[in-house]
Amino acid sequence: MIKLTFIEPSGTSRQIDAALGTSIMQAATAAGVQGIAAECGGACMCATCHCLVVEAPAAGLPEMTETERDVLEFTSEEMQETSRLTCQIAVAEDLAGTVFKVVGR
Amino acid sequence: MTDLTTCPHSADWSEFRPFEHDGMTEFFARKRAEEPVFFDEGTGYWIVTRRDDVRAIFADPDRFSASNVHDPLTPFPPELVEYLKQEGFRRDKTQANCDRPKHTRIRQVAQSFLNIRQFKTREPQIREMVAAAVDKLRGRGRVDLVDDFAYELPARVLFLLLGVPDIDARRIKTWADSRFNMISGDADFEAKMEAGRQVMDFWNYCGAIIADRQKNPGDDYPSHLLAAHAKDPESISLDEIQNLTFGVLLAGHETTTNAIGNTMHMLLQDRDEWNRLVADPSLAPGYVEEGLRAGPPVVIWRRRAVEEVTIGGVTLPEGAPIMMSLASANRDEDHFACPHAFEGTRSNARDHVSFGYGIHFCMGAPLAKLELKLVLELLSQAFPNMTLVPDSDPDWQRTILVRGPGRLLVDLNE
Ligand code: HEM
Ligand code: FES
Repeated sequence: MIKLTFIEPSGTSRQIDAALGTSIMQAATAAGVQGIAAECGGACMCATCHCLVVEAPAAGLPEMTETERDVLEFTSEEMQETSRLTCQIAVAEDLAGTVFKVVGR
Repeated sequence: MTDLTTCPHSADWSEFRPFEHDGMTEFFARKRAEEPVFFDEGTGYWIVTRRDDVRAIFADPDRFSASNVHDPLTPFPPELVEYLKQEGFRRDKTQANCDRPKHTRIRQVAQSFLNIRQFKTREPQIREMVAAAVDKLRGRGRVDLVDDFAYELPARVLFLLLGVPDIDARRIKTWADSRFNMISGDADFEAKMEAGRQVMDFWNYCGAIIADRQKNPGDDYPSHLLAAHAKDPESISLDEIQNLTFGVLLAGHETTTNAIGNTMHMLLQDRDEWNRLVADPSLAPGYVEEGLRAGPPVVIWRRRAVEEVTIGGVTLPEGAPIMMSLASANRDEDHFACPHAFEGTRSNARDHVSFGYGIHFCMGAPLAKLELKLVLELLSQAFPNMTLVPDSDPDWQRTILVRGPGRLLVDLNE
């Protein structure tokens, strides 16, 4: 388990426990974080798990695949430098403490 | 006795009637409340009706195998099996009906072409195709929106992905007619044999496309798959390429046709909603989602329990065949307020499961949504006064898995 923080669309900040090996999206939705619809269930198709990385871990986040970049670029209107699809990132020890801002409804 | 001809919605099912349409909504509403997971003697399947349970199954591909997704509901006649074998039909489990780890390998290769970038790049051509289909209706007075419009359009778009910009409409019709009947309909022997002949013809057509693209590569799906094969033959085999090419038409044709039919049927039945769209076509994406939610083209999708599992409090034995009612999940009152109302402004319409969920999530979803959006925009602007012909029978398709009107008669009132 590691701790992650999510800033929900309403502005509320939530710290959650995330189990290693699941995706950040799965950990967040399991903990009831608001604004992550995860419509496609992690298939890298829908961009409804889009978050901005507000505070990155020291070691950085794993690289984006081309598919993730395309989906962000073409599906989400609010893509920014710090955008990520959280279903494409696996929860790992060195991500502890990362802060995400949910880009959702 | 109920008069089914004048009041179809009073059709009261005491048990599941997989081929019928009228009465389905009411039946599942009752089941969700009383017995959300049940065994159906008629089909031999466990039926799952609530959204949470359906999503839980989709989200757990290692315990719920997709291997039965394309299985025929009634066994093929031995003559058909023999015919397909002799003709060299090598249709193996390739994507929708295969499990991890094979599925991961195939999906990765397929998704590097069937993705939002490719779909968006083709948007201008798709818009032209939709506009041309709308133009063909002009001046015709009364038309059948299924046969005269929704039937060909999605196939033309798919052939664009296959690198075939212009395809003979009659050929599409011959291939597609009763294709789904082969696996999910209650067609008779001759109809099944005829479906088999059409399937074989299309299989060979795909083989010919691939042979051609090996010599003349282009910017299309088969060429892209062949390039991946050339780079690393382990990533995808030639037979798998033929299966994927073949599978695209199977996956993306009737589904999108039915999405157009179902959505237009609901929109035209509700004049206020139609007028709202006519007044503001920028609302189209909301109507697309609500149409997919309330009238899913795929009403049932299948899985098989790999081990003993408990779902919705019911324990299913190892190997249990499962039908998830997507139509029921999309009207689950625990998630959608007033689930039976058709509302283009519903805020959570996107939460439907009409494209599945998880690792098999429909690869054509962004394409289908793009087509539907263009269809709603262009049809509503071209024929704002269009009305359904009163009392015309939509002739709902008699297939278990996919559902849409067989006919949608409208007066264009230009
Ligand atoms: C409104 C139209 C459509 C509907 C309702 C629909 C529905 C579905 C559903 C329910 C699945 C199974 C998902 C799962 O098991 O989680 C699926 C899979 C699939 N669809 Fe669609 N589909 C549509 C259009 C298309 C189009 C246009 C294409 C082609 C470009 C397409 C290609 C696929 C493929 C390749 C799969 C298999 C994905 C996999 O197993 O990895 N679909 N679709
Ligand atoms: S959940 Fe759909 S892209 Fe992440």
